[in-house]
Amino acid sequence: MDVDLRPVRKLRQSAETRAALGPIIEAVCASSADLSRLRVVCDWIQYRSNFRDAVVARPIGSTDVELAVDLRRCGDVAPGDLAGLVKQALSDQSGLALEPWVPGRDSCIWRFNALYWQALSVWEQATGREYEQSLPGGESDARNTEAASELILELFRLWDDLAARRALPDELYVLELGVGNGSQARTWLDEFVRLDQRHGRDYYRRLRYLMGDYSAHVLERARQAVAHHGERVSALVLEATRPAVTLGFLAGKTFLVYISNVYDNLPTDELACIHGRTYQVETQAFLADEDAGLIAGRFGTSRAGLGPLIDRLLRIGPELLSESAPAQFADPGQAVSFWQAVWHALRLRERYTPLEGLDRYQVSPALTGEILRSLLETEGDVRMHVSNGALASFTGTLPLLHPFGRVQCHDLFLTSRPQYRTGFYGPGKYDGSVVNWVNGPLLQLVASRRGFGVEFAPFRRRTGSNITTLTAQARD
Amino acid sequence: MVLLPTTVVGSYSVPEWLERLKTEYYQRRISAPHLAEIHEVAIKAAVKDQELAGIDIVSDGELRRDNDVDYFLARIPGVHIPQRAKTDYFDYYDAEVTRPLPDVPEALGLADDFRFTRQLTDRPVKFSFTGPFSLSRRIRDDAYPDPGGLVRALARRLNAEARELAAAGADLLQIDEPFLAGYPEQVELAVEAVNVVTDGVPATWALHVCYGNRYARPSWEGHYDFLFPAVKAARVDQIVLEFARKGLDDLQLIRQHEWDRWLGFGVIDVKTPQVETAELVASRIRRALEYVPADRLMINPDCGLRHLAPEVARRKLRAMVAGAAAVRAELEGGGQT
Repeated sequence: MDVDLRPVRKLRQSAETRAALGPIIEAVCASSADLSRLRVVCDWIQYRSNFRDAVVARPIGSTDVELAVDLRRCGDVAPGDLAGLVKQALSDQSGLALEPWVPGRDSCIWRFNALYWQALSVWEQATGREYEQSLPGGESDARNTEAASELILELFRLWDDLAARRALPDELYVLELGVGNGSQARTWLDEFVRLDQRHGRDYYRRLRYLMGDYSAHVLERARQAVAHHGERVSALVLEATRPAVTLGFLAGKTFLVYISNVYDNLPTDELACIHGRTYQVETQAFLADEDAGLIAGRFGTSRAGLGPLIDRLLRIGPELLSESAPAQFADPGQAVSFWQAVWHALRLRERYTPLEGLDRYQVSPALTGEILRSLLETEGDVRMHVSNGALASFTGTLPLLHPFGRVQCHDLFLTSRPQYRTGFYGPGKYDGSVVNWVNGPLLQLVASRRGFGVEFAPFRRRTGSNITTLTAQARD
Repeated sequence: MVLLPTTVVGSYSVPEWLERLKTEYYQRRISAPHLAEIHEVAIKAAVKDQELAGIDIVSDGELRRDNDVDYFLARIPGVHIPQRAKTDYFDYYDAEVTRPLPDVPEALGLADDFRFTRQLTDRPVKFSFTGPFSLSRRIRDDAYPDPGGLVRALARRLNAEARELAAAGADLLQIDEPFLAGYPEQVELAVEAVNVVTDGVPATWALHVCYGNRYARPSWEGHYDFLFPAVKAARVDQIVLEFARKGLDDLQLIRQHEWDRWLGFGVIDVKTPQVETAELVASRIRRALEYVPADRLMINPDCGLRHLAPEVARRKLRAMVAGAAAVRAELEGGGQT
């Protein structure tokens, strides 16, 4: 039996965590499971709202089993009760399944995520708080005058140099993806005006600041925040994973792409290498029987009717749902309550399905799993995010850059492969959205194969933040 | 030579499987002899592809080369490369010179590369190599107090190699300067070095200047006006320029500066997988004929095809050949073919 303890730091810090280990192993040994085919993987799930129970079992192929333990919650469970959780996990596949087994990126959790951004205004009305308040620290990391000033002055230096060589285009494009409430754009543009007046080259006249976001609601709020910059700013609703569809006209023209807290919210698969064999993690969203019963009862439907009702919510949103079913949902607020209840109860079960060759796995339409080989199959067992959505977005963004342009991205990045051995990096729930840390080494590798250097640095503007700053620009 | 002859700039599509095998070599997982055999097979296929597409003047596709710089630097005596293993075959080495390049009669092996290609085809063969200015940009120079010193030394080395190539039968040689557009203020030095390379070598000489094609992206932007009038002092018979991606505005420079030699006219954008139609190619050629007489116009892609998928490269070459043929037929009075 393998026992894989990931939360290295927490093991040192938490006596409760260490204390849970013994009873779990005792319980496993007392079970009827074939211990030679059992792995025990212990994580520390930092997201208080997540998709996991404290102990779950994951089939590995058709023969082996992985018992996944959340030590944070198990530390709070009485030792005598841990045996029951282990036993239940090894035997239990009950619950109301909301989908068939699918790769992680195809799970319906991403439909919930998309709905959150599309119907953000009604969600916020129901909760009484803006989404930024649900981010760690309570605000986006995107606004900072000093940081903006640094970037702008670097741009001025570059533009002066290009102008001296008669190579400066007439229009100077800056793109922001994931605009939040517009604070970043406002700070940046206000600072740009101030510095441009001092610099004296009138670059502001040539500046084209484009704001792109998936959510029309968010975009409108941001647009209002920068209304005083008038025609310098354009706002575009776009699909973050396919920027070229909307922004193809920017190819080779963009001097700065600024991205904040977007990638951690895009669909991802997970792949694993276990005992030298590569697996895809398949997931299935479900509601525990007890939760399904409670929600069905509360919202006037049967257990059998719950799945179709959830699907309907995800297709048409809470406002149309309340319009189409006024007997069940008297107003959109009640439909949002239903949405929130389901979201809160939503769980994912997982299994490992053997992958028949990395080249058969498609990371994105333009990228096969071959790119993963050096990360996945070289140093023993590992499970990692593929960050498919982030990769698609990132690789779709790089061609937009001017030869001297750069991407600056603030997000939750892993910056080295060994980190996957020491912690849990998602999925978790932020309010109504999904969060996963992004596979930084993979982005770095893919960018490298496209001639871009990628560097990671701690986010400098707020201490104690998990945010990392990625900078990408052409090398050689 | 036919009117409006078609050719390639140099590199040909590098399939993904070949990239993987090259990387295996640079990570020392396959041997040099095995990689050499793989290269020979790939070059045969590349030449055949060009013949089937109808290209008049073919190349070896530069398929032996890891990139446009290191293949040469790794062979030049006196250039020190501390770490020769690579994470990816296409990465650049870190190269340095710490003392002036030795004047030793050691061939770089390019003539053997040419001989191999020569025996594969009856068609004329173009052989290209990276010029001294661009090579110098990838070397840390701790040897020459004058920045031009290294460029000139590399030029002398390449001149010796060009003589070997001519002796082996190479009669169309091309110097590629993909870095020059990034240093327009140094065009006189680059031209001076080109003249050292071509000095005394009995061949038709082409000079290719583009805006970079590393990873299918331009490394710089701008206009070719920086080349003129300096390039007129280059002892070359053709300049080979990119137009398909950048647009045709710079054609007026040819007339304005009275360039009276051949123009290798880029009609295929090598930075996009979108395949041009023959009609588009023909329209570009017709536009070029407003500035350059047909008997001094050679038709080629903007740059090497290395970053295009094999099928895309084949289709682009076929479109180029068809477009050139259509205009040729018009000029010869035969109408559309």
